[in-house]
Amino acid sequence: MPIRPEHAHQNRLWCVFCNFDILELDSPFACGNAIEHLASVEHWKRVKGFMWKYGGGMDRVHLFRIAEVDFAKWEKKCKALKTEGAKAESVGPVVGPWKNIHNELNADSVNSFHKNDVDSLKFCIPNGVVPLHNYTNEKTQVSCSVSSSVSEAEDSQYLKNSTGYMDNQHCSNSLAVNGSVYSGVRIANGENISPEDIIGNVHTGAPPPWFDATKGNQLDVALKSEQSDLVSSKAGKSSKLNPKRVGAAWAERRKLELELEKRGELVNNNYDANWLPNFGRVWQSGTRKESRKEFRMEDEASPKADNQSEVPMPLQPYISKRMVKSALYMLLFILKSPDEDVN
Amino acid sequence: MEYLLPTLREKREVDSLIRDTIDKVLVLRFGRSSDAVCLQLDDVLYKSARDVSRFAKVALVDMDSEEIQVYVKYFDITFMPSTVFFFNAHHMKMDSGSADHTKWVGTFQRKQDFIDVVESTLMPQLLSSFGPIILEYLDKAIYRGAMKGKLIVSCPLPPERIPKFQLLYKDV
Repeated sequence: MPIRPEHAHQNRLWCVFCNFDILELDSPFACGNAIEHLASVEHWKRVKGFMWKYGGGMDRVHLFRIAEVDFAKWEKKCKALKTEGAKAESVGPVVGPWKNIHNELNADSVNSFHKNDVDSLKFCIPNGVVPLHNYTNEKTQVSCSVSSSVSEAEDSQYLKNSTGYMDNQHCSNSLAVNGSVYSGVRIANGENISPEDIIGNVHTGAPPPWFDATKGNQLDVALKSEQSDLVSSKAGKSSKLNPKRVGAAWAERRKLELELEKRGELVNNNYDANWLPNFGRVWQSGTRKESRKEFRMEDEASPKADNQSEVPMPLQPYISKRMVKSALYMLLFILKSPDEDVN
Repeated sequence: MEYLLPTLREKREVDSLIRDTIDKVLVLRFGRSSDAVCLQLDDVLYKSARDVSRFAKVALVDMDSEEIQVYVKYFDITFMPSTVFFFNAHHMKMDSGSADHTKWVGTFQRKQDFIDVVESTLMPQLLSSFGPIILEYLDKAIYRGAMKGKLIVSCPLPPERIPKFQLLYKDV
């Protein structure tokens, strides 16, 4: 059964890449025409051309299309739904999948929505704001509406049954999600469930879509934002201090390093035993860097001099000239005296 | 005994104190705890430490320690006690009329002298409110000069309160 005219406008899609308005007047399934368009080869070519021309992330081009494999799956599910609908002639949702509501959520099917390569920006946003008498948990929202067709059409973006509506009461069940209990979720009549709801939104505290792609960047951004906050908070204090004070640049750098070390983000184990502070020596006329260099040279030279002086010197008694003379005279006297005796 | 002055005996301790004292004057006394003049100076430093804690940090360095000898040589310390001043890891010189501008040799006669040297002498109205705190007077000069970007400051003390010594070049 095609979508009702009063709801067709909610399923309209404007494709920016193709510059084409996709209507769903005669589509038997929600967003059927849109899905077919997004899976088409022409759309894929135009997406690539658009991103190349306007400088987008070419690594994320695949997010703006539906892959052929996914499209094939969807078609298969749609056919199965058609045959079942023709057989059963039922208006409401299939009973079987309802059981999934009471049991664990089919989180895989729910989470598969954000994997769909569809341009989420182009989909309709729900019209009304439901009164917050129930927790608006997107996973549960999706589960109620999805449960009827998840098993049949996992890849469809807009999950409505053949009639397109579900009663709120059917969905008002307590659901346990990740250990916490959420009350029944409303599924507003005729309300679309955008991929943004399925993934999460600002109200649920979900991260923005661009963070999911690169978690590393997220951390870097968080770090940088924290650092910038830190710097700005410290800047408040340092702004009162004279920026021309002695060692101002060094002080700012060191403050940041200490803060990061305190938070454990920067581990500074490189203690330099040869580090010397900036010092103007007494007997030095040049710059302080020169005095430090000179000291280092002196320090290297002094151990060598000490080593040389440590060579053991043989100790010898001191003999004066008088002693030498007297010793010589004694020798001569001794030598002469035996000759006189002989004579 | 709230402000017990830390005694440093390792080069690593001195290095970390110099590197971690930010936007405050670091006062390093090189001496020996058994020396009489050192004891007198230590007493003055200890009593003034709290008064100058807003803008200065005081530490004692044991000259007899083996690891400290590199600093004894680097700072050309020949007299005891010798007090060296740092600000943001930069050495602060002080012209006190003696031959050696790199350090303060000897002791301080009064606490106020030390305090004034560390901070400044340019605001007599402010100083008068501090009372007779000589050490703070001495500390102030260095802090004020450092905050203005000066690496050498003039000693605010009168000559009669500055210890006299003769500087020898290589014991000549």
